[in-house]
Formats: sequence, C-alpha cells, structure tokens
Amino acid sequence: MFLDSKKKQPGRKHPVIHAALLPAVIAACLSGGQAVAYTSEDGSVQVNGFVENATYARRHVGLSKMRNTVQIEGSKDYGSKGPFSNVSFVGTFRATYDAVYDLNDDQFGNKAGGSIGMESVGGSGTTPWGASDISTGVLGFGFDTTKNPNEGLISLGSALHETEGGVGMGVPVRPCDKDSRGCIDDYLDFDENELKYPEFNDRLDFLREAYLDATMPTESGATWNFRLGRQQVVWGRTDLFRVLDVINPVDYSRHNIYDELEDIRIPMWMATGEYRMGATETFDDLNMQFVWNFDKFRPSNLGQGGTPYAILDAGSFFRAMKNCWDNGCSVANFAGGALSTDFPAHVIGIRDVHLPDWSLSNSQFGVKLEGDYQGLGFSLNALTFRSQLPSLRGVVDTADNPFTTAIESEAFDYLIAFDMHFPRVNLIGGSLDFYVDDIKSVFRVETAYTQGEEFANTLRPELYSESDVFRYVVGWDRPTFIPFLNERRAFLLSAQLFGEYLVDHERQSVNGIEVGIPNWEINHIGTFLIKGWYKNDRVSPQVIMAHDFRAHASVIAPSVDWLISDNLRLTVGANIKVGDGAQEFDDCRACNPFPPFTGAGAPGDLSLRNLAGFEPLGRFRSGPIGMAQAEDEFQVTLRYRF
Amino acid sequence: MRLLKTTLAAGLIVAATLPAHAATNEDVEKSFYPYKTGVPTYEGLSAGLVIDQSNADRFKDVLDPAMHEFISQGWTKITVGETTSFDLHPNYVQATRDGLGKVKLGEKSGEIEGFVAGRPFPEEPSMDDPRAGEKLAWNYKYGYNWGDNAAIYPFYWKYKDMNSGKLERTIKFNFHFLNYMHRVNQEPLPEIMPNPSQMFRAIYVQALEPFDVKDTQLLIHRYENDLKRDSAWLYLGFQRRVRRLASGQVTDAFLGSDVMIEDFEGYNGRINDMEWTFKGAKNILVPFYNHNDLKLSEEHKESDGYQFVEMGDKGNCFPQITWQLRKVYELENKPKDPNHPISKRVHYIDAQTFTIPRTLTYDRKGDLWKSWQIGQAHPDHHLSKNKGTGVAIDDSFTMIDVQAMHCTTGQFKGQVDPSLNPARKFTVQNLRASGR
Repeated sequence: MFLDSKKKQPGRKHPVIHAALLPAVIAACLSGGQAVAYTSEDGSVQVNGFVENATYARRHVGLSKMRNTVQIEGSKDYGSKGPFSNVSFVGTFRATYDAVYDLNDDQFGNKAGGSIGMESVGGSGTTPWGASDISTGVLGFGFDTTKNPNEGLISLGSALHETEGGVGMGVPVRPCDKDSRGCIDDYLDFDENELKYPEFNDRLDFLREAYLDATMPTESGATWNFRLGRQQVVWGRTDLFRVLDVINPVDYSRHNIYDELEDIRIPMWMATGEYRMGATETFDDLNMQFVWNFDKFRPSNLGQGGTPYAILDAGSFFRAMKNCWDNGCSVANFAGGALSTDFPAHVIGIRDVHLPDWSLSNSQFGVKLEGDYQGLGFSLNALTFRSQLPSLRGVVDTADNPFTTAIESEAFDYLIAFDMHFPRVNLIGGSLDFYVDDIKSVFRVETAYTQGEEFANTLRPELYSESDVFRYVVGWDRPTFIPFLNERRAFLLSAQLFGEYLVDHERQSVNGIEVGIPNWEINHIGTFLIKGWYKNDRVSPQVIMAHDFRAHASVIAPSVDWLISDNLRLTVGANIKVGDGAQEFDDCRACNPFPPFTGAGAPGDLSLRNLAGFEPLGRFRSGPIGMAQAEDEFQVTLRYRF
Repeated sequence: MRLLKTTLAAGLIVAATLPAHAATNEDVEKSFYPYKTGVPTYEGLSAGLVIDQSNADRFKDVLDPAMHEFISQGWTKITVGETTSFDLHPNYVQATRDGLGKVKLGEKSGEIEGFVAGRPFPEEPSMDDPRAGEKLAWNYKYGYNWGDNAAIYPFYWKYKDMNSGKLERTIKFNFHFLNYMHRVNQEPLPEIMPNPSQMFRAIYVQALEPFDVKDTQLLIHRYENDLKRDSAWLYLGFQRRVRRLASGQVTDAFLGSDVMIEDFEGYNGRINDMEWTFKGAKNILVPFYNHNDLKLSEEHKESDGYQFVEMGDKGNCFPQITWQLRKVYELENKPKDPNHPISKRVHYIDAQTFTIPRTLTYDRKGDLWKSWQIGQAHPDHHLSKNKGTGVAIDDSFTMIDVQAMHCTTGQFKGQVDPSLNPARKFTVQNLRASGR
C-alpha cells in the first residue's frame, strides 16, 4: 500500500478545487473542448504547449506529489534583419501548482512535523527537544524554547534510520512563512506559496526560456549563430549524469535526480556565440562555441528541509544546522558522545550563506570545440563557473564557547560552525561518440577534470578541503532484437558507467572509525535501460536501473508509457530502491574544538576520534540513491499536449 | 598448368567486373527514353479503365502479387492512366553519355570504378550477367531521385488501423535531401567541397507535429565508399541532445510508423549490405501520374493552394491516384545480416527513372510482411517550381503491414528548390542549433 489509508483528505474545498483543476482541464480537452496550438497563416508564429498532472504516492507517507503544470511554448520567426538571417524569438512559460502541500500538509505543509525526542544513550535514554541532559543551567548550554519550541520538527534522517548512538538533530519542516527556523535567506527559504507555485518567485522562473536567435553568414561560408536570453546550454553526450552538462544549475526539489534534465535545468540569462565552420579539409563538421553566463549566480535547488524531494536530504541538514546557529538546538548523544546536549545559539550550525553577487568577475564563461572526424564525434570543453553546490567552510569567526560565561565571538578550529560558500571551479573536459559496427553498438565517452571543488573534511581545522576531481562516463547503446518479447521491433539497451575520482582525497582510519573526506575516493554508478515499443510505438515499457557500487544502493524504475492519442500521454511507473541505506562516518563529536572542556589534547587531536554515526556526513557515502532508500513511489502522469 | 589456372581465374574475375557488353549511346537513348517509339500495351487495358475485384484476375500479369491480392480482396482498385515519359534532366543524361565505357564494378560487392556522374550502367540488364542486380542497385543509388537536392516540405505521415480505418497518429515532417557528389545540375558541380569524408548524400528530417515529437531530427550521411557504414544521428527535443544512432536502428520502425529508415525512397542503405538479384524485366502497372490532374485532398491545404494526394479505400490506406503501365526491372535484395528483421525485398524499379514505386517486403519466415508504394508525380504537372526539373517527384506513399493490418500513409509536397537545402542544414551541429 503506497497510499496510507490514514491519509484520507479532510473536506477542504480550496485545495481540492486546485488539485482537480488540471485533471478537469485535461478531461475538458478529451471531451471535445480541445485546447489547440496556434500557427499563424505565414507560419512565422507558433504557439503550443501542454497541461500535465503528475501524481506520486510514497510508501508510508502517502501523497508526495500532485504537480499540475501548464507550459506554453512559443516562437516567432523574423526572417532576415540587417546582417542577420534566421532571426527568431523563442519563449517558454511554465506554471505549476503542487497540491501536495494542501492535500498532505501533515507531511509536507503547514501541519508537518511535531515534537521530537533526542537520544541520550548515556543519560536519560531520550530527552525532549530543548530539555536535553546537558541543557540550561549547565555552563552556557541551553536555548530559548519559546523561540525554538519542540513543534514542527522531525529528527534528521528519521525516514531512513534511527539515531543508534550517533548524532541526532531536529529539522523544522514547515514552510518558511509558517516556521522561519533554519531558513537560509535567498537560498533555501521557500514559503508555502513558493513551494506550491515554484515558478513564481523573484527570479521569474515561470519564464523557462526567452531568447533571441540570429545567424550571421560570413564570406568564408561559415556562419556565426548568436543566442541571447534566458536559456539552457547543454553540453555532453551522457544521460542522467552531469559531467559536462553543468552550465545551468538544477532544481532537484522537483523530483530529486529522476526528472528529465530538460525539465529541471534552471534557465539562466546567457549569451552564446557559435562559429559554425561546417566541413573543413580535415573535419566533417567543426564548430566553436562561446558561452557567457552573465546571470546573477544561482545555486542548484537541493530541496528545502520538509519538502518531498531533497537530494541527499542535504536541505534538511542545512535547515537543522541553520536553526542551531540562529536559535540553538538539541543534539542527540553529543556531550561525551553519549548525552543529549542543548547548544545555545552561535556555537554550532550554519551562520551564513555567501551567494556571489552579480559582478563581471562572478560571471561564468565557457568554450567548446565540437566536431566530427571520420565518424568520430568529439568535443573539447572548458568552463569556469561557480560551484552550484555549497561548500561548508568551518571558518566562522564569531562563534561562542558554551563552556565559558564570556561571549568569545571568535574562530575555533574543528568547530562544526560553517558559512556556505560557492567556490569558483574550473573545468576542462571532452566527449566522444562512435559506432562499432562489429557489435552494432554506439559508445559514448564523457570526461571532466575540475579544480576548485570543496568537500567536507574532518581532518582539516576548517573542516573542508579542496580536491581536484576527475569524472567520466562511458555509455553503450545497442538496439537489440529480443524475439520472444517482440519479433518486429528492437529494444534499446543502454548502459552507462559513471566514475568519480577525488584526486586530493584524504581519509584515515582512526580508533575504528573513518575520518577525513566522507565522499568515496573512487566510486562508480552503473545504469542500465531497457526500453521496448509496441503498437506502433504508442505503448512503450521500460525499466531503468542504477546501482551505486560503494554505497551498495540501487534503484529500479519500471514504467509504461501509453500514447493514447497524438495529444494525450499516460505514464504509469514506480521507483523502488534497495540497498544498505544509511552509512556511518566521523561526525566530529570528538573533534575537540574547545579544549580542555571537550578533550585533553589539541583541537582535532586524532587520538580522541572515536565517534561515528549516520549524521551528518554519512549522506555523502550513501549518495543520492542510498539517501532516498525510504522513498519508494508509485507514479502516474497524464499529459495533454496541444 | 598452374599458370593456366591462374590466368583462367583472373580472366573470370575480369569478365565478372566488366559490363556484359560495352554500353553505347543507343543504350542511353533506350534507357532514358523507352517510350519514344511507343508505350507498352496489354490487351484490354487502356487509360480510364478501373481494375477492381471483378476484373483483377484478367489483369494479373500486369499487377505485382500484392496489388493483385489487395484488389482481389476488394481492398482497393486501380484507375489506369496514360503511360507518359518521365524525362530526367538532360544534364544527367549527358553525364551518362560522358561516362560511357568508363564505369565498371569493383571486385567486391559495393565497389565501383570510374564513375563520375549520371547512370552508371545504362545498358539493358542481362539475365546472364551474375552481377546485373548489383548494377541495377548502383543505377538506383546514383539515380536522379530528387535531383541534386530537394525537400519534402511539408510531409504528412498518418498511422492507421487498416481494419477499422482509425487514424491513430499524424506526424508532420520536413525532409531534405542533398547530393554532395556526382552533381549534374546545380552549382557547385560536380561536388560540394570541402568533403573530407567523401560523403555522397545526406538526408535531414525534422519532425514538426505532434508536439511530443516536435524537434525530433534525424540526419543520415551516406558515404561514397559503399563499404563504409552510414553515419546517423537523432536529436530528441526532450533531451536536447544529439545521439549517434546504431545501424540497427535503421531497421526499426521510424517513430513508430510502418516504415524503417532503411525503407526510405524504396531502399535507403548500402549496396554491400544486400545480395542483389535481377529477376527480369516486365511491364506492370505502377503508381505514376500527374499530381495536378488528380482529385486532391482538402485536408492540410497549403497557403499557396497546394493540395495533397487524397487517401481512401480500405482503412484509408490507399492513395487515390492513377497508375501507368510501365517497364520495370524486378530486383530482389536479401540482407546479408542474418539478424536483419526481413528475409528479402522485391523491388519493381521503374526502368526509365530508376525510382522504386513498388516494393514487397518479406519477413524472416518468407511471408509477405509489407507492401511499399511510392507514387511518382510528373514534375511538369506539379508545383510550378518543379516544372522542367526532370525529377520524378515522390508524391504519395503507403506502407501496408499486411500481417498487422496496419498502414502508414504519406502525403508529400515535394519541392526541387536549392534554397531549402543548404549544406549547413546537413551538419550535426545544425541538429543542435535547430533543436529547442
């Protein structure tokens, strides 16, 4: 049972009306009142689009998505203008309303969360939030529970694991207008309406695309093609993975890693110039592309704590930590590795987020040389950009030592107090594709080497370090007849192996635990797709599988796509995960930031390190598949295109 | 003795690669103007006659087996038209004359030597020539199909249940063709340069509607070296990526239709992939007509007044056209690949134009699987821009899956217009640039 019978909806009219709106529109289209595309008489103006309802139910949770979407796509061709030919404008408008925040609001809305208890294995067993075994009255510990009450909370990672003697934290889970605790200004601070209607924000995300295209022929026969405006720029030859396809940030809050990148890339205001040489004396096709992303920086949306889709559950961790810094917080099994502890504000947590301002120096620039040589497709890519994922730097210089009565407001090595930064990353890479006739297969290869990425590192006083990273994907595609399933139509078999190597990886085994960088030094994820077609391609079943080798986590996603008519498509599928789930790593409870109070040695003394748990760093070992282990879903999507 | 054997063997190879007899100007005249001195006749057959269920058997000898069966079943009928000459462009004919005596097959299938332009083997094929089928295949490959370039702009494909007549899907395409080599009519001649991979021909396809396939694009590069595998790429709008296609995908249903990429234009693949056998010449009814003389469809009427061929009869699977009694060469092709989804095709190649108006496709078991019909319209009775181009205009098609009782029909607006087919349209980068 995916749909929990306890989740019967109360008789609220407003949300139900909203939720029913889109299926009603689709039904109206089916019954003859069809929405139609528009093409002007001369063909220069085209407008089309779709309405869609995507309803997903999660095991033991109930509804996890009821997203209703209207998307309008339009283009206008202007022909030749001055030195330019093929001048055109393309615009895409998207509006969505996710009814899950109304229909399942005790999981993902204003009524989500509740009171929680913090494990205290060496003390009371379990203590309520704000009433830990180490709390008000003990030195400088404790926090104001009137500002930070035990309500609207869940235990970090509780969907996936028990605390089991490790660190436990509380996550405020209600929308930020309902509960502002842990909300990070201008980053993860979505109010209820922004969660329900995610396109309508101050970055005008309803404007998925709006760009001008123009071609300028040259005397040599080559052409310049310019594209200016809000757009997606797609590099690489890989499905699912982002090795070179990193120019646009990504909205993982829409459906974690499982939506088409087309739908979750966050369009940016960019200018591209492409010099198309066509065939040359050596190459069958050769092009040089320049990309200037002059938009104000945007990070990827990892999904806010308390929302259905948060990759690595990172948004929940960030929210828990931000609340700790701002308001203080209870942490399970902290003091001595055994007692629940109420930290006052400004000791641990996330202090601030440093989003790069708009400036010329903060803009991002890329170059790609792409072509075809004797049946070998290739590209060489270079990009300088800002990391779209935050780095947590333990460089907070206004922290307080709760063991003293003074307000120090200074920096402490190895203290789990962070500012978020988005460091500049330089990438070089390339891609290839080629066909091997002997085995009727196409191979795709994509690689990237980056400098500047930052990772959590409990061996460093600032709790992070930089590492060069080498990533690659090898893909294999082969149409293959499987006669007992279909005699007339080949199945597509497609496999990919994604590899990641942290060149400057640091990790040690100390006192039986792993310390350093939690990410695997070398890890691989394999994917496999088998897709078939029946009834003149109107019915298409497929199964996608992925396996994270080091995390021991897998996902299986079977689905069937039924094209009911030229306009109407129904997709029914499931997303099932299996594997080890949560993994442990040094949680820095024994990092000794306040000697002698927290330990006899120096800050970071390795001899003291003996505590590990699932939170907070185990998520980097579990990976996006392992961290979503408890998110099995049944999914139905109905799309009417016009 | 050993020397004698060696000499004998060499002599046999030479004999196999040389034409059965050296082609002459007279062969060229007969090849390109077969109806100059008269058109084929068959007793009781005349323009205006309708062949239907009632008289199908009487005209069985001038029908291919599938059409005879369809008519006998009452699925369709044929209206006979007057046989007319479809003169190809004089430059193509002259190029054929210029190449007389210079062209021969290579030692292996898929090899040709001395070819510059025109029809490589204009002489009448001989049943005694073991490689006659291969020569016909070369004549088709280097035929004046669409001339140096053309576009089908637009092109409607409809998927239909033949039993119920239910229209399941309508796809609107643009198709573009460009010859890079052996050009005879439009500058640059004879080759578009630079051409580092010695590409012979390119086909570019863009899907326009419905919107779930909008922006899907297909690009095929065929190389001069027939032994070299085609390169093919697909751009999928929802992925915004160009994917190189594996060759197996050219034998799959294209976008769910009854047509494989390999079926395009009659046969769209390498000569070396097949074993070719000439089965003889005959006069049969084939779909050749004057587009402007037909009763045309009111559906999809273009803003310039152009109307497409009407479909009708069983399941609306049959173009409502007229048929001409014409000389054809029956040519069988059998895939060399044992995993190919078909066992053979039987082509009926029009002797004058070397287009393929009729093809019967047999499944692996040897049973008739599909009937492939491409209607040829005379260029002087079509769009005004096509007049005088000397191109037999592909104008209508139906691919009938007789086992599944399903069909895909095609309605063309063929335009021989170089401005629609610039070389830059046939690059991989154009797929990315045109995709949205």
